[in-house]
Amino acid sequence: MAQPPTPTGPDVVLRATRLRKDFGDTRAVDDVSITIHAGERVGIVGPNGAGKTTTLLMLLGAIEPDHGTIDIAGHRLPGGRSDAMARVGFAAGYLPLPSGLTVTETLELFGRLYGVADPTTRAAEVLDELHIGRLAGQKVESLSSGQGTLVGFAKAVIHHPRLIVLDEPTASLDPDVAMRVRDRLEHMNSERNATLLLTSHDMREVAELTTRVVFLRQGRIIADGPPDQVVASHGHADLESMFLAEAARVREQEV
Amino acid sequence: MDPATPSTTETDSRSAPPTFDTRRVRAMVRRSLLSQSRNPDFWFLLLVLPLVDGLLFGSIGVAYGIGDAPVVLLVTGIMLFHLIWQLTLAGSFGLLDEVWSRNLLNLIATPLTEREMLSSFGVVGLLRTGVSVTVIGAVGVVFFAVSPTSAGVVLVPSAALLLLFGWSVALFVVGLTLQYGDRAEVFSWGTLVLLMPLSGVFYPVESLPPVLQAVARAIPLTHVFDAVRIGIEDGEVAWAQLAIAAVGTAAIAAASTWFVAHQLRRFRRDGWVTRFV
Repeated sequence: MAQPPTPTGPDVVLRATRLRKDFGDTRAVDDVSITIHAGERVGIVGPNGAGKTTTLLMLLGAIEPDHGTIDIAGHRLPGGRSDAMARVGFAAGYLPLPSGLTVTETLELFGRLYGVADPTTRAAEVLDELHIGRLAGQKVESLSSGQGTLVGFAKAVIHHPRLIVLDEPTASLDPDVAMRVRDRLEHMNSERNATLLLTSHDMREVAELTTRVVFLRQGRIIADGPPDQVVASHGHADLESMFLAEAARVREQEV
Repeated sequence: MDPATPSTTETDSRSAPPTFDTRRVRAMVRRSLLSQSRNPDFWFLLLVLPLVDGLLFGSIGVAYGIGDAPVVLLVTGIMLFHLIWQLTLAGSFGLLDEVWSRNLLNLIATPLTEREMLSSFGVVGLLRTGVSVTVIGAVGVVFFAVSPTSAGVVLVPSAALLLLFGWSVALFVVGLTLQYGDRAEVFSWGTLVLLMPLSGVFYPVESLPPVLQAVARAIPLTHVFDAVRIGIEDGEVAWAQLAIAAVGTAAIAAASTWFVAHQLRRFRRDGWVTRFV
């Protein structure tokens, strides 16, 4: 089994400095800097086109920034991407799992890629932790959307990552299952000092799960801080009303 | 924006060389074999196609040939062509499988490196090649009394060149798949379909229409199959032909390696990953 990260003080798990990314004439991300310390729970939010996905994909090393640097657990991308990703778990509610494999085989595959010493045992453990051990022998193609999301989450945490990156983590889950995932995330955060970085369109989930919100507008950070402070500084009652106001503003600009 | 913050205490890998972990290669090989072996197409291409090819070309050799040479040439030719065919298919379908199942981003977000991923495709290709060539060799021995080693020692360098050529085509298709997704599938088998008649697998290039002979001579494969034919007919190793083939194949391998590296850079720079999620 992979060694869990050592709970430490305020060490930096992720530092992105002055990221910029253009696609043709469109600036998708503009001068974004984020530093995340161990144990933090951070949400990146903003309406469609705000640059959330591009930022997340740059942090995963899938897209190269035009400008800026990214360090994850001390490993600078892109050269240190492999070492960095060994400490990161990623799951997206919209991503299917590799076809042709059972749930256990899928988890074993990712366990091996992450260097887990006994992936078979760890696969059974993580399925039990999420109360989905009954799915072990099922083909991933036969899973419901919610079950697939849960297995995707199991895949992301099989190696006890220091940083868990989640894109729309509970989008297709029933409320009770979503609550189970949130409980699990909070457990990993409190027990293992795992750092959470998530994007979601569900502002209630973001408010519930995170202790810090990075709000993006047209590729730039317009607010960064605890959710209540971010909301108050922009004159809104809650995160959802701030999100809706930003989305309306984008729609008006498009018109 | 964040002010400067204390750096982490972990190892800084800014100047570290890219890692290569054989355990991750084995994990990907296992993944490919498990998922592909549950697909009927896999078994058809691996066992049925070589069986049919062996029987087809062996029977044509018996029907229209005088003496043993034609059947030996045809069975050996198709056996060697499967070296390229299976490696190319495994290489290109390795990535296409991940594209079809939208698994690419899942893999990118792991420590798996590009070299490890490509290596796993190569290992699967070599395994497929071994099985496929064994099937054709067995067909030759059992049904046509043709030894798979009839061409002699020339088979060793020829097989090496054919494998390198097949891998080069696979890299080329991988590079196209990164840009065009599953629309690049046609190149995985289309390239070889074009090469088969032009590279003199079953006949000397002089049998081709004159206008195509110059094209055929520019293809390194043509010189490999020429050398094999000389090995079967005269029992000699045609080093000159092998040397021409080696230079041509090395140039193509270098070009396809550059191409796939270039495409991988563009994949990250231009955000092509968003096409696969």
